[in-house]
Amino acid sequence: MKFDLDLPAWKWPFYVMRHPFEGYDDLRWKKGYNMKVAWVIVIAFFIISVASAQLTGFLFNRTYVKVFNIVPYFSSSVILFLTWVVGNWSLCTLFDGEGTMKNIFCVSAYALLPYLFSELIIIIASNFLLRTEVGFINFFRYLGIVWSVVLMISAMKTVHQYSLPKTIAAMFFTVVAMAIILFLAVLLLTLFQQVFVFVYSIYTELMYRFSI
Amino acid sequence: MSFIKKLAAAAMTAAMALTALSVPAFADEPYTGYNYDWWGDPIPSQNGFVVDKVIDGADLGLDKLDYSEYSKTMQEQLKGLAEPQDIFVDQKTGKFYIIDGKNNRLIITDSTFSPDKTEVVAKLSYGDEFPESTSTVKNTSFKNPHGVYVRKNSDDVVLIYVADYDNNRVVCFNEQYEIVMEYVRPSSDVYDANVTFNPDKVIVDSAFNVYVIVPSITQGAVQFSADGQFNGYYGANRVEATAEVIAQQFWKLIYTREQIIAMRRAVAIEISNIDIDNEGFIYTVTENKTAETDVLKKLNPAGTNIFVNLGYDQNTFGDYAQRYYKGKNYASAITDVDIDEEGNIYLLDFATGRVFQYTDETDLLFIFGTKGPQQTQGTQKGTFMSVSAVETYKGRVYVTDSRKNSITVFKQTEFGAIVQNAISLFNEGLYDEAKEPWEEVLRRDANYWLAYIGLGNAYLNQNDYATALNYFYRTSRAGYNRAFKSFRIEFIRANFTWILIILLVIIVGLIVLSYVRKHLKKKKAADKGGSK
Repeated sequence: MKFDLDLPAWKWPFYVMRHPFEGYDDLRWKKGYNMKVAWVIVIAFFIISVASAQLTGFLFNRTYVKVFNIVPYFSSSVILFLTWVVGNWSLCTLFDGEGTMKNIFCVSAYALLPYLFSELIIIIASNFLLRTEVGFINFFRYLGIVWSVVLMISAMKTVHQYSLPKTIAAMFFTVVAMAIILFLAVLLLTLFQQVFVFVYSIYTELMYRFSI
Repeated sequence: MSFIKKLAAAAMTAAMALTALSVPAFADEPYTGYNYDWWGDPIPSQNGFVVDKVIDGADLGLDKLDYSEYSKTMQEQLKGLAEPQDIFVDQKTGKFYIIDGKNNRLIITDSTFSPDKTEVVAKLSYGDEFPESTSTVKNTSFKNPHGVYVRKNSDDVVLIYVADYDNNRVVCFNEQYEIVMEYVRPSSDVYDANVTFNPDKVIVDSAFNVYVIVPSITQGAVQFSADGQFNGYYGANRVEATAEVIAQQFWKLIYTREQIIAMRRAVAIEISNIDIDNEGFIYTVTENKTAETDVLKKLNPAGTNIFVNLGYDQNTFGDYAQRYYKGKNYASAITDVDIDEEGNIYLLDFATGRVFQYTDETDLLFIFGTKGPQQTQGTQKGTFMSVSAVETYKGRVYVTDSRKNSITVFKQTEFGAIVQNAISLFNEGLYDEAKEPWEEVLRRDANYWLAYIGLGNAYLNQNDYATALNYFYRTSRAGYNRAFKSFRIEFIRANFTWILIILLVIIVGLIVLSYVRKHLKKKKAADKGGSK
């Protein structure tokens, strides 16, 4: 029915945003996956999360501005997103999911778009609103989150060709998988640090021996 | 080479000698002034109060008195103060009442603390006015007294109330030291039969109701009417909603009656001290280190905490951070409260020996005093060992220490006086007049964030909203909100034409754009159809 959907790559995220239920089917049919567009959205996610902390109006801003560290923002946006993709792929390849890593990356990134728009609106509006008008901000925040979650469910359902209950179960266990991945990453990091310290102390020891 | 070295060394020595000479001798306070900023971080600040003098028993002339009737060891102790527990100042007469706890006596003096103004009260007598019907302890001397309060009655008779801890009574006597009334353990059923009656602190309101703090009672202060009738309890703390309390609520749904009775009851933490201001509002503090709710309360005559409606009960009183270090909890333990004539609130922290001065709106003004290191035993002026009570009189703050056995007098600094002046003008609503002292405060201490709020209010009052916004930014959300509201209305009013024009242009532009796009699509379709 939609055989005239020869959209350029950058229009696909907007198309699926406006068609939460059949948009991803069209995307799959038309192979509208594009890594460059997906990366732009992920980077925008990172920029928006920093902007939200820095540019939100004083009345609604709870950020401790005395120290600024980019790393938490980076890990809570880009790293978190990559973990989601990896966790979802590792889980769903084992459970008959059809999505490849690239496909999962693209559709997940596209699903973030409403959230990013709502955050953008909040950042701008928070500079013009009073504390009594916090309802507008909450409205946009919840709208963005709900819309993105609906899109994400739709995306997962389509990309893996799952039924709805299976999709939701898969998403839940993806979150569990993410927790395990992050735990292992932190463990690995600390262990490598120990190894590094060990090697470095041997090196210094040798240097002392040979310098005599 | 060596010559140059020698020359350099000589020059250095000369320079050091010169700097050493140029430093004048001065005594610094043993504590660094600090304050909490909007983020709740401690930042250095100027001192609002510095030590004026330290008063001990010898200054009061206690060592010159005749103690021949006492034993040898007792004589030594009586020559000075021994565990002063409480101090009260009658703001009208300027008389000081000091409880000399271990010596079982009350010392009456004035702000000069000179021996010829000092009177010692150790023996009382039962006067003719003492009502026959009242139950009595029948003791004419004090036994480990803990608290004192003084109020003049309608016949201009000065009544002195002493919380006589080990005599289980609050004794009320006049200036001839004749006992007029005794407030003893209530025989009412409401008063728990297992609970002792050891009065720790006492206050009296303008209707001569007596409020007694008994440490073993968690229901609040014990309230007596003037004739000694037990009226009930007043101003209990709320039970803190800890995890244990919530769990108990859950188990109560399941348990049987017997099990519920056997359960550990969740009770509120007892109030530890009490004071009353000129308007009749009663302030209570809670000393327990784990207490986070109801540390400071301001109660109306009905016993309701009016800080709750104002949102002030959410503020932190005392030091912000609770620190655990080597198994010890370094949280504030507010042991006494005092309200001065301007309505400022003084809290005394037993844990750190600090006095926290707040405005009547619970904004922190100054922190002063400190607990000395163990080695010095609090001998340095301004350091404490075990603070017991705080009192104010004419801009000076008096703190008693029950182990140093002395009274430390703090006087306001120039900086403190400027801040106080600005606060007073601000409270009277004279925002414009308060501008100058606030600016002076900022010139002396740019970190003093209350000054930014004061200046913000001043500019807001002058309808200079943009400047007000600048001052309120990151100092006060409520102030910023108020200023921004007016700022926004004014901005829209001033630029209404432009806003309307821009809106119209956008709407017209959108209509035109959609029209053009439709037209182009049609043309495209027509072209496609034509080519086929």
